[in-house]
Amino acid sequence: MQLVSACTKTLLDSRGKAAAMEKFSISILLIISLLPFLCSSFSQESPTDRRILVLLDDFSLKSSHSIFFSSLKSRGFDLDFKLADDPKLALQRYGQYLYDGLVLFSPSVERFGVALDLAAVLDFVDSGHDLIVAADASASDLIKSIATECGVDFDEDPSALVIDHKTFAVSEIEGDHTLIAADDFIQSDVILGKTKIEAPVLFKGIAHSINGANGLALKVLSASPSAYSANPSSKLSSPPSLTGSTISLVSVMQARNNARIMITGSLDMFSNRCFRSGVQNAESAIKYDKSGNEQFVAELTKWIFHERGHLKAVNVRHHKLGETDEPAMYRIKDDLEFYVEIYEWSGKSWEPYVANDAQVQFYMMSPYVLKTLSTDQKGLYHTTFKVPDVYGVFQFKVEYERLGYTSLSLSKQIPVRPFRHNEYERFITTAFPYYGASFATMAGFFIFSFVYLYNK
Amino acid sequence: MARSTSKDAQALFNSLRSAYSATPTSLKIIDLYVGFAVFTALIQVVYMAIVGSFPFNSFLSGVLSCVGTAVLAVCLRIQVNKENKEFKDLPPERAFADFVLCNLVLHLVIMNFLG
Repeated sequence: MQLVSACTKTLLDSRGKAAAMEKFSISILLIISLLPFLCSSFSQESPTDRRILVLLDDFSLKSSHSIFFSSLKSRGFDLDFKLADDPKLALQRYGQYLYDGLVLFSPSVERFGVALDLAAVLDFVDSGHDLIVAADASASDLIKSIATECGVDFDEDPSALVIDHKTFAVSEIEGDHTLIAADDFIQSDVILGKTKIEAPVLFKGIAHSINGANGLALKVLSASPSAYSANPSSKLSSPPSLTGSTISLVSVMQARNNARIMITGSLDMFSNRCFRSGVQNAESAIKYDKSGNEQFVAELTKWIFHERGHLKAVNVRHHKLGETDEPAMYRIKDDLEFYVEIYEWSGKSWEPYVANDAQVQFYMMSPYVLKTLSTDQKGLYHTTFKVPDVYGVFQFKVEYERLGYTSLSLSKQIPVRPFRHNEYERFITTAFPYYGASFATMAGFFIFSFVYLYNK
Repeated sequence: MARSTSKDAQALFNSLRSAYSATPTSLKIIDLYVGFAVFTALIQVVYMAIVGSFPFNSFLSGVLSCVGTAVLAVCLRIQVNKENKEFKDLPPERAFADFVLCNLVLHLVIMNFLG
């Protein structure tokens, strides 16, 4: 404000009030136009989340999970800790979302604070924001129903935990084999990072399975075939409903709007205790000094918060072979070139994405041409093909869906016209008999007239 | 009595042939010309049935030139035939001149439409 008033004073002192008013309004406009660049929240140019709301059951979690939270803060996130039943809880104000991501570390909450409920959380995800849900043995129906909406079904039995008598973590204290050491990871460099996680991950909590009807949810960490979900302190009366590798310990879902959700049945997996402790799998004899929890959680949250595996495809261009302008219409049997640029967000900047399986379709109700794009390793993909011998309104379609990456779906419409009448070859080969017949008729008429006239 | 045998057909054919040989030569020349034009048209139609009607304008102009000139020749024959009472007062030179003029127009149109 002081800067603005100083500016106006100097401007008004100079000669001519009219000129001063002009300069004043120009400077105001300049200042206002710079304001958008001051915002650093989630935007198309910078897809990583920035402001995360963390809902806790009680604030002791802040200290028992401090390593996890400080690693998030060091990656540049603004964490906002609140109790889950805080009455002043609000995800959005005046239609704008206040946060870019939500972490629910409140498994036992029955009802959120006033402004938040199941529908509000689902709207949050539907608007493209990310979610981490951690449950444990005290998981409430609310948390379980949020998970069900995301395609993951927790075990109905409220007292069941994941038990594994073969791959449990060897420790001096707990003898009921509910602390398990899991190492059945999903094979994906995008989701779990390039470095292989050597040590198993410690897990103590409830089991869930992916709903068969949901095609978007993935099991990131599955239980071993010898695991089952049951109450550890009572005898089994009937075979457990969830057994073996169908039990998922950590699942993720990438929604069609590219929002990413992580659901796990163990809040302890994020705790300092599990991060720091060593782990030894009861089955194998190898003892690791540090469990794989910290690396696993760090890499997975990087994927969840769009620091990895977020693609964008820009700059779709096409033109006839030999020209540089984009025409408004193509003719059948033209040769054309197609370019698209695909970038991947590296957490800080857009890096060129390199892959050899991106394809472009020339589509009208069905793809007439399907070509694999070749890359120049710097993010530019291109290919050349001939327009098919069909006319109509076509689309260039780039559809790219790979495990762990955001789905790309671009299309650009272009009409294709048939030959104009003067674009055919001058004498059409198949029409030669007709040409011949016409000339033969003319010759015949000529000869006939002679014969008729001079016939005695 | 109403049974038709091959002998009857043969007798019919012979009587037709003898009647036809009595026509004047000029009319026979016209008939030959009409037959040639129709034959050419038939060849083109068979060709189109095999290959398809791709340059349809060329097909139409070819067939139309043959059929058109055949029709004009038939008109000439009608007007020139002395046994035809309707055109008794029409001089045959006038008929032939009409024939030539109409053919010229026909072939001009054909050349334009042939592509």
